[in-house]
Amino acid sequence: MTREITYIEAIAEALGEELERDDDVVLFGEDVEEFGGNFGETAGLHEKYGGDRVRNTPLSEIGIAGMALGAAVGGIRPVAELQFADFAATAGDEVFNQIPKQPYVSGGRLSAPLTIFAPSGAGIGAGAQHSQSVHSWIGNVPGWVVVTATTPYDAKGLLKSSIRDDNPVFFLPHKMLSEMKGEVPEEEYTLPLGESVVEQEGEDVTVVATQVMFHRAKEAAADLDLDVELINPRTFAPLDTDTIAESVEKTGHLVVVDETVERYGTQGYIANEIVENNFFSLDGPPKTIGVKDVPIPVSPALEQEVLPSVKRIRAGIKSVF
Amino acid sequence: MAIDEETSKRFLREMLRIREFEDEIKTRFQEGEIPGFVHLDYGHEGTHVGMSQAMRDDDWLAVGGARLVGQYVAKGVPLGEIMAELYGKSGGSNKGYGGQMHVSDVGRKLYGHAATIGSGQNPAVGLAFAEEMKGTDNVAVTTIGDGGTSRGSFHTALVFASYWDLPVVFVIENNQWAISTPSSALSPDNLSDYGIPHKIPNESIDGSNVETVYETVSEAIERARNGEGPSVIESRVARLGPHFEGDKQTYRDETEFEEERELKDPLKNYRKQLLDDGVVTEQDIDEMIEAIRAEVQEAIEFARESPEPEPETAYENVYRTPLYGQGE
Repeated sequence: MTREITYIEAIAEALGEELERDDDVVLFGEDVEEFGGNFGETAGLHEKYGGDRVRNTPLSEIGIAGMALGAAVGGIRPVAELQFADFAATAGDEVFNQIPKQPYVSGGRLSAPLTIFAPSGAGIGAGAQHSQSVHSWIGNVPGWVVVTATTPYDAKGLLKSSIRDDNPVFFLPHKMLSEMKGEVPEEEYTLPLGESVVEQEGEDVTVVATQVMFHRAKEAAADLDLDVELINPRTFAPLDTDTIAESVEKTGHLVVVDETVERYGTQGYIANEIVENNFFSLDGPPKTIGVKDVPIPVSPALEQEVLPSVKRIRAGIKSVF
Repeated sequence: MAIDEETSKRFLREMLRIREFEDEIKTRFQEGEIPGFVHLDYGHEGTHVGMSQAMRDDDWLAVGGARLVGQYVAKGVPLGEIMAELYGKSGGSNKGYGGQMHVSDVGRKLYGHAATIGSGQNPAVGLAFAEEMKGTDNVAVTTIGDGGTSRGSFHTALVFASYWDLPVVFVIENNQWAISTPSSALSPDNLSDYGIPHKIPNESIDGSNVETVYETVSEAIERARNGEGPSVIESRVARLGPHFEGDKQTYRDETEFEEERELKDPLKNYRKQLLDDGVVTEQDIDEMIEAIRAEVQEAIEFARESPEPEPETAYENVYRTPLYGQGE
């Protein structure tokens, strides 16, 4: 049985179900109690699961992330919320040096089964410090599992898996998708981490995209006289390149669209993986499309200028032929 | 708090173990057997031993500061495992992935160090939180040096520990030097004063006296176990050696340094105290040292004979696989 719910409702369901399922799951962050989270993602959870398991914190990402690390090593499964993904930077040492490295430097003696929940992405006029897509920052540090969510179905299934995974997981929902509706099963389900999925089959060109860019790519593809295969990587690190490589083997063309900036963004990494390992599958050079190399401006007119538009994606897909 | 003779002897033996072990590390480093940097604990033995003897085995120790080896010893990690880790060998506590900065032993509840000094205190608060959520009365003790107290992360840890009233004891081992920056130039009279704005019980003590440290940390742990929240203790010691082996210490006043070595050596002072009080004889101490030296030699042999890690193991332990939902 499926029904239509919003992306943020799917997230709230995932959090609620995991709190219900496992007493070791604890959720904390700024304003997660009565306030219900910035996007409504924790609404009702404090009331239902109580102040021990759903907790407000003081305003410090250093404390939220650092404490999550210790709590995870100590044997519980924290879901630590950063209000905006940009704040990965305000917990820089914890996010870049501590969490992803402690399991490794301990020779595998420590495990840190924690989830950082951090809404990312541009489009709501939130400005340069509340709009970034950070999966290239985080994916650059081995040790993090980096997960995004493109649909309500993904959001629920992937968040539940992230909470259950024994690695540190950086889970990045997109704030522009909060109100998007989609089909989500009534029944319990999870989705595998580390696996890309072919969302739409096609013969002419492989387009890889997530989050808002996935929906824009889908729209762009619908207007083209081309048979587009759409791939949603779901997990950026570690990246399942096999599914993408298989697709390129079939189509011979690759376009990667992502909301990280083009300079050292994830688009370049994905394209490079295919160029380096599957060069002879390609009939021409891949195309990468991302946010222009500027901070995200506030004015909607400026903001939409720097984000990949449906038009730019459409032109990008056409350009590989 | 009366300290019985057996306990006194244990304090002395543990301090001797640290000293003898580190003397050997120093020699092995000088002879090129140990890679990287070596930071030794001279002057810190009393604070390490006093603190760890106040703990139960199932309390967490989240080590910090730069003087770490003595803390690993005091938490009960076998000397051979520590030595092999310093050698970067596969028999090391961390199989060669960690080195002297990252010895961790979850089984003994030793949390690995944050080598970016001052970033280990929030994880320590998290460890205390986990114990509380699990309904135990275990506590987390975390150490930091004077230098690390200038990091915002240290202050955040105080905010969080206080906000949730968690069972954590912050021990600031103030050896007066953040490499070459003197702690006397920092504003607080005592670094434990950083607990004051958070209304956390705080105290500054002579950390070169093992019994003083034991008593003060025991009281703080007792409060934490009883649900009375965190404490901040400044344990004042002298750094009786360089920051790392090879540091020429041009920034230190020679006369003062000599004076400290004369007056603030925790091992020398405690040894004299126990001899004066008739708790031990010179012969008892010689026997202790003889046994410890044998243990240290065994540790060296273990480290030397332990194989180098297989190069391909560099790719292990990055992720626990399969990831959730993937096939077995």
